[in-house]
Amino acid sequence: MRKKKGLLHELSKNRILFLMLLPTLLYFLINNYFPMIGIYYAFVQFDFHSSNLFQMDFVGLKNFEFLWKSGKLLELTLNTIGYNIAFIVLVNFLSISVAVLLSEIKGKWFKKITQSVLFLPYFVSFVILSVIVFNLFNYDQGVLNTVLERLGAEPVDLYSKPTAWIFLIIIFFLWKNFGYSMVIYLATITGISDEYYEAAKIDGANIFQRAWYITVPMLKNTFVILLLFALGGILKGQFDLFYQMVGNNGLLFSTTDILDTYVYRSLRVTFDMGMATAAGVYQSIFGFVLIMVVNTIIKKINKEYALF
Amino acid sequence: MAGIQKKAWALVLSLVLALSLLAACSGNGGNNEASPSPSASPADGQSSEGTTGIDTSKRVELQLYMLGNAPKDMPKVEAQINEWLLEDLNATVKFNYTTWTDWDQKYKLLLSTGQDVDLIYTAEWTQYQQYAKNGAFLALDELLPKAAPALQSFVPQEMWEAVKIDGSIYTVPSTYKEYVTGGFVWREDLRAKYNLPKPVDMDTFEAYLAGIKANEPDMQPVAVGAAVDATLEDALLDFYRQNVGALPYGLLAPYKDPSNMVNYWGSAEHLEDLKRFKSWADNGYFSKNELNETESNQDKIINGKAAALFSDNPTRFNSMLNQMKTLHPDWELGYHPFGLTNGYATPVHPIHNGFAIPKNSKKAERALAFYEKLVTDKRYNQLASYGFEGTNYTVENGYYKPVGDNTTNGFVREASNSWAWRNPSFMIFEESYDGIQAIFDELDKIQVPDIYTGFAEDYTTYQAERAALEQVMKQYLFPLMAGQVDDVEGGLQTFMEKANQAGLEKIQESYKQQWLNYLQEKGIQ
Repeated sequence: MRKKKGLLHELSKNRILFLMLLPTLLYFLINNYFPMIGIYYAFVQFDFHSSNLFQMDFVGLKNFEFLWKSGKLLELTLNTIGYNIAFIVLVNFLSISVAVLLSEIKGKWFKKITQSVLFLPYFVSFVILSVIVFNLFNYDQGVLNTVLERLGAEPVDLYSKPTAWIFLIIIFFLWKNFGYSMVIYLATITGISDEYYEAAKIDGANIFQRAWYITVPMLKNTFVILLLFALGGILKGQFDLFYQMVGNNGLLFSTTDILDTYVYRSLRVTFDMGMATAAGVYQSIFGFVLIMVVNTIIKKINKEYALF
Repeated sequence: MAGIQKKAWALVLSLVLALSLLAACSGNGGNNEASPSPSASPADGQSSEGTTGIDTSKRVELQLYMLGNAPKDMPKVEAQINEWLLEDLNATVKFNYTTWTDWDQKYKLLLSTGQDVDLIYTAEWTQYQQYAKNGAFLALDELLPKAAPALQSFVPQEMWEAVKIDGSIYTVPSTYKEYVTGGFVWREDLRAKYNLPKPVDMDTFEAYLAGIKANEPDMQPVAVGAAVDATLEDALLDFYRQNVGALPYGLLAPYKDPSNMVNYWGSAEHLEDLKRFKSWADNGYFSKNELNETESNQDKIINGKAAALFSDNPTRFNSMLNQMKTLHPDWELGYHPFGLTNGYATPVHPIHNGFAIPKNSKKAERALAFYEKLVTDKRYNQLASYGFEGTNYTVENGYYKPVGDNTTNGFVREASNSWAWRNPSFMIFEESYDGIQAIFDELDKIQVPDIYTGFAEDYTTYQAERAALEQVMKQYLFPLMAGQVDDVEGGLQTFMEKANQAGLEKIQESYKQQWLNYLQEKGIQ
């Protein structure tokens, strides 16, 4: 009872603040919640004869059938999660380490140039990346095979070796993306008060100890937020990356097919709204469950770091 | 108090954050969280008074949607057309272009979200038959005599018949007759240089490829590209096994005996053909990484990286030849239409180019009346197809001549993608078109009607299976076609197993039934 009264009281007390929040709430309501009515498309047979969504025939889970019809749902989900976990872990590990190293470097020029060089691949489009990759690895004229041949070694046909692509995809993802989160970490490090470091210096901590005991723990907050955001989008996969690098090469699908590419490929041939929505709903629900679970775990460990 | 306050804030914040994340993924994943279409009642022909002519008392703006990119001078053309149109029909028109990026997605959304669209391009490759069957377009049968009598009599009756889906007309077909049938394309200068046979059938084609491989080791004998289903299987079935059309789901029905539809996938013929492709790959006729190729096959011919195409249509062959000639005047291209070997060729089906009125259009009468002008009025037609005479083009000895080049001319020939409103009596051609006309004339002698394109498949009962099969094809059949599986027989077996698991048999059975019904309905054999 008391709690409820408190909330109302809170609303009237801070009404100006809530008023200021209102536009944001409205924005989300209109752009993110209202369109959710469209989720209902996943459960109906779309047709042009009915002028209204709710007049269409309700078909239950029929639209979801294609997801498991090919018996690939599990493989796809595992691939998607596996890649994203690898992406998240490696990107964060790499960007934290490089950010810490860069922050300790005093040379302004070197620091700026390194930062830019690492950040630039972020702006390379995946379409261009796919062309670069093809020119590196194609069997007949690829850079790799040309070099191998000059060295007198046997040329390799990477485009028929599914396992190699697990590594290639991860490497190219890192190459493209880690500069971005590194900049975020670097910004957080800049925000850490110098007093800590000075105090540590006086206490006799060396450069490694300062990095390990001050910088890294201070980054935890940023890390957790970035992690949770990344997790929410985990089932979105990295469509462009996979689609552009693998394309239609069925030989590589066993290790490189994720939900997004599968859905795209399946639905390219049909114009059915129901099935496309069903795929989206599956991804959303999965992402929602995932973020709830991870958040609960984080809350158990340390309440302060949880997103909510 | 402070605790409660914090909690309340946290609650609001977390809700917003959590759900925005959720909404974000659903928005991107589904790609179609469109708000429900407003309950728009389709404009029906009866609304205006009188039985002939249409009510033009209220001024309207028509929305025309075309695929592709608008030429630079389109606004000027549009302004001029609107000037005339205001006088003629008290209307203006806006030419909207989808661009080629994700055009199929946009097309789908234009039709399904109740957007204001009055005229939209249709073709078999935009799935006219399916959309019409599903009720996306307005039936024009009653509207035509009232709003566009001249157009109705201009288009021959058999064309109106041919575009009918379930007994109604849903699109206005183009009357321009062309052939988009396949044929071998090869480098004539190289063929002559090495004294290789002219490709007219599979044996001579393979002999040509072998000759190129032996004499030009740096050249890829044949360009295939990533779409191996179209460039290898469909082409081979079309030419070698005389399939009635590019039938889906591994079905084969010979043109001469269309009711005899058999399962091609998994058959001895299929195995034989896959082995043929495998031998091409093994002999190095095409690259090991064809499935990841990003350069277009036509470009590879033009820049001399490849020496042949298994199949391309006359119009594209001609444009390839012209582009190649500007870069390498001493190279030559040869072309042999499949029809000359097989003894028959099908001119393009009327469904191939057309304009339909979506069901939601509220200005259907005026839209159709405008379209009549666009097709049958020379002023409208030539302006919307070629731009302004004098500024964009000139006519010399009856031939079309562009002013300037592609970069300076804001409206090159048919840059508005005017395929559908082509009117043979107003068309002006470039000199190089004579080459195509010569091929067409030859094919005219052996022409037979296209009996496949008029068929409208209804896949509502096997949608899930269809989507699942698409994946299986890409994963197991494409590598086989590209010759990347060492054990062809084993690979084919795996593919068939997976395909049947995905529901191939159910799809084929239903498709066959529909096909037979269609043949019977149309009275074909």
